[in-house]
Amino acid sequence: MIKVEKLNSGYGKLQILFDIDLEVPKGEITTIVGPNGSGKSTFLKSLFGLTDIYSGSIIYEGKDITYTPPHEKTKMGISYLPQTNNVFTNLTVRENLRIAGYILERDEVEERINFALEVFPELKDILDRKAGSLSGGQRQMLAMATALVRKTKLLILDEPTAQLSPKLAQLIFDKIVELRDSYSITPLLVEQNAKRALEISDIGYMFVSGRVVYGGPAKALLNHEKFQSYFLGIVGVEEC
Amino acid sequence: MVELITLILFFFALYTIVSLSLNLEFGYGGIPNFGKALYVLTGAVVVGGILNRLLIWYFGIEGDFISASSIAAYKMTELISQNPLLGLGIFIFCVLLAIVAGAIVGALSILPSAKLKEDYLGVTLLAISEVVYLILFYNTEIVGGYYGVSTPDILAFIPGEYRMYAYTVLGLICAIIVYLFLERLLNSPYGRILRGHRENEDLIKAFGRDVMKLRVKTMAIGSAIAAIAGVIFVFYSASVVVNAFNRVEWTFYPFLIVLLGGKGNNRGVVLGAFIFVLLKMLIDFYKFDIKYLLHLPFEAVWLQYIIFGILALLILCYKPEGILKERPIFTPPIKSRINE
Amino acid sequence: MIDVVIGAIVWSNLLVLLALGLTMTYITTGVPNFAQASFAIIGSYIALTLLRLAELHPYLSLPVTFILGGILGLLTYYLALKPLIKRKASIEMLMIATLAWDLILFGITGAYSELLSSITKKTETLFVFTYLDFEFYGLPGRLIVSSLLVLLTILGLYLLLYKTKFGIALRASMENPSLAEAMGINVENTRLFSWFLSGALACMAGSVLPFLQEIVPQTGYFIIVSIFAASIVGGLYHILGALIGGYIIGISESLFTYVLSIFLGPGVLVYSKVISLLMMIVTILIHPKGITGTELWRKVERWLNL
Repeated sequence: MIKVEKLNSGYGKLQILFDIDLEVPKGEITTIVGPNGSGKSTFLKSLFGLTDIYSGSIIYEGKDITYTPPHEKTKMGISYLPQTNNVFTNLTVRENLRIAGYILERDEVEERINFALEVFPELKDILDRKAGSLSGGQRQMLAMATALVRKTKLLILDEPTAQLSPKLAQLIFDKIVELRDSYSITPLLVEQNAKRALEISDIGYMFVSGRVVYGGPAKALLNHEKFQSYFLGIVGVEEC
Repeated sequence: MVELITLILFFFALYTIVSLSLNLEFGYGGIPNFGKALYVLTGAVVVGGILNRLLIWYFGIEGDFISASSIAAYKMTELISQNPLLGLGIFIFCVLLAIVAGAIVGALSILPSAKLKEDYLGVTLLAISEVVYLILFYNTEIVGGYYGVSTPDILAFIPGEYRMYAYTVLGLICAIIVYLFLERLLNSPYGRILRGHRENEDLIKAFGRDVMKLRVKTMAIGSAIAAIAGVIFVFYSASVVVNAFNRVEWTFYPFLIVLLGGKGNNRGVVLGAFIFVLLKMLIDFYKFDIKYLLHLPFEAVWLQYIIFGILALLILCYKPEGILKERPIFTPPIKSRINE
Repeated sequence: MIDVVIGAIVWSNLLVLLALGLTMTYITTGVPNFAQASFAIIGSYIALTLLRLAELHPYLSLPVTFILGGILGLLTYYLALKPLIKRKASIEMLMIATLAWDLILFGITGAYSELLSSITKKTETLFVFTYLDFEFYGLPGRLIVSSLLVLLTILGLYLLLYKTKFGIALRASMENPSLAEAMGINVENTRLFSWFLSGALACMAGSVLPFLQEIVPQTGYFIIVSIFAASIVGGLYHILGALIGGYIIGISESLFTYVLSIFLGPGVLVYSKVISLLMMIVTILIHPKGITGTELWRKVERWLNL
């Protein structure tokens, strides 16, 4: 689906990512894990065109999109949901969904919104509430629903379960699996909740200090010594 | 011609002092002090409002403030013409008073917004400065407002035809002292922290430095220096007319100078002040010729505003770093490493 | 006393129109526009010109002023700000740019006022429209017109922002430009719209202002503090802040001047600016985001279902 080769990027003079090689296969869930400051989130931003790219290439469905601006990528079916501020808090749920279909035709928007509401029936009762008044879980679901409205093919999620209770986090993970299975969306996520995320994933990558230290089957990463030393040692404490 | 050159040098000295103080606040400290005119005006108030009242009281003059000031200024000028030390003494007294008053006004005016972002800082400083200016302008009781008041001529002991040169020399001496003082100050730890604060507030907080205190201190120093320029200007013109301390002349033009010369570079600012004053004085001096030459159906001063406004936009757009770029500060350890 | 109340409402209405533009451009472009008051004065001179040269009554020329003002707003954005934003200039630099633009407008206004004088052979550097005002059932025209302008503006804005796709996109871009961009919305349109409206509203306010007070090229310097106070007290991050702040500042200024004039006699108008300044400083000290940034306001908003 998307293939990244030798990507070097960062912000201005501050390089954060070094020679990243990564591939997201169509129809599989890919998860990137790594300690804080390892460049995972920066990588997602680079994919979407929100950082400065110095060299390397990003190929999406055979097209070079390395320097394509974000709104063009949206039209190509790539959605990026940042960790925070991924919905408009001053707009109602309905307005958020409508704005998500900004680039579509009027009739099509209604159709897509109905479709998104079928996938996320939880939103049906709160259509006229402001997104700012929603709970964390509801907000995350709204964000994912907006991606559905836009006819997303590749869904990039930055820590979708951050600050959610374990139960809600599980719900979000289930939805991600559902999106892949029933609606042929390819999810790519970065997760702090590393263990649980890798359990639902097919492919796992691990970043340390802006470099890829592992890339391969997700289950194998769970048992990888580097993963064990970083996460069961460091993040394990954080999670408590 | 000699007259024009002297005039240029005198205003070059004044604008150098004010622009250097703005460079401390804005160029090094990142404080957008859009209220600069207020601190120059503070110096004027020290002379017109405080010194004049002291003199009126000392001579026991009756009557309204404006006419009493004229008499007091006349009497004092008479005394000074006999006694040079008295004139210099009054000058030094006023400068010291202006430094104290400027520091207090500067520190007070930044207090409300000292913790906030640059836009709130700039807006608040401008608003305070404008309101004080308007009150001093419309209320003629404080420093004469739009009528103006006379002040003593502190160099009355020098024969009339040389007095303008003497004021110019006095101004230049003050400008040199201010320049040397600021260069020393900025190469101290304080100067380095100030620049650090501009680049990254959080960094300074991490070092345990209080951003608010740093800003208050910087504004106090900057405003004290600007007030000195106000004192010199008033004594030179032997009167205080509040209009002369408007936002265009003493806030906008100093910003233009700092941008032109290069913010964060004192040598650049001096150069900027020179170029600017040269331009401004030439327009001022030849304004009637310009008006008739170009058949302008309006005063040339409006054209001057438009030209300097456009100049500022062009600099902002095409040469925001100014003529001379900011130099890195070389601390002794860095110097020794470079020399190795 | 009734004159004082009428004056207070008219002045508040004009402040609302002026502060609305300031707040909108601040939200979309992130820079406090120091030239906002000069917009108004240019509006005054546009109305004067149309009166002198086309014999159009200032109230009737409002649509023309609206459009010319909008063009002035767009020019401000295109000439003074956009080139700098493209070069990623800092907020301080953008603020200096609006100061420079203000000076250019001031120069143009001054030069133009003298040019107009030479055309009409009258003194146009200082003028009023008060003698042109009409009365309707005892109510002065300036009260009716300025109130109608505010009502129409608020109604128009409400319909636009809440009932149209473009309006929802506008609100979306104001809240979170980068997310809006990701949705395929052209955020630049939001800026153009806000600058057009800012100039248009300010110029309309400016053409009513001579019905209330004398206009000289320097008048902008006299009213700028009131505009900023209105926007800040109401809250710079919310369009409705301008409405609330405009009335608070306008009415406080007028009443304070009235009370002061009882004790000190006429010529105390300048002290009304002290009230604005104090209210602005108190807001900045207690709650820099203003009234519309408070928790209480959020509850009101939820209650109003906005």
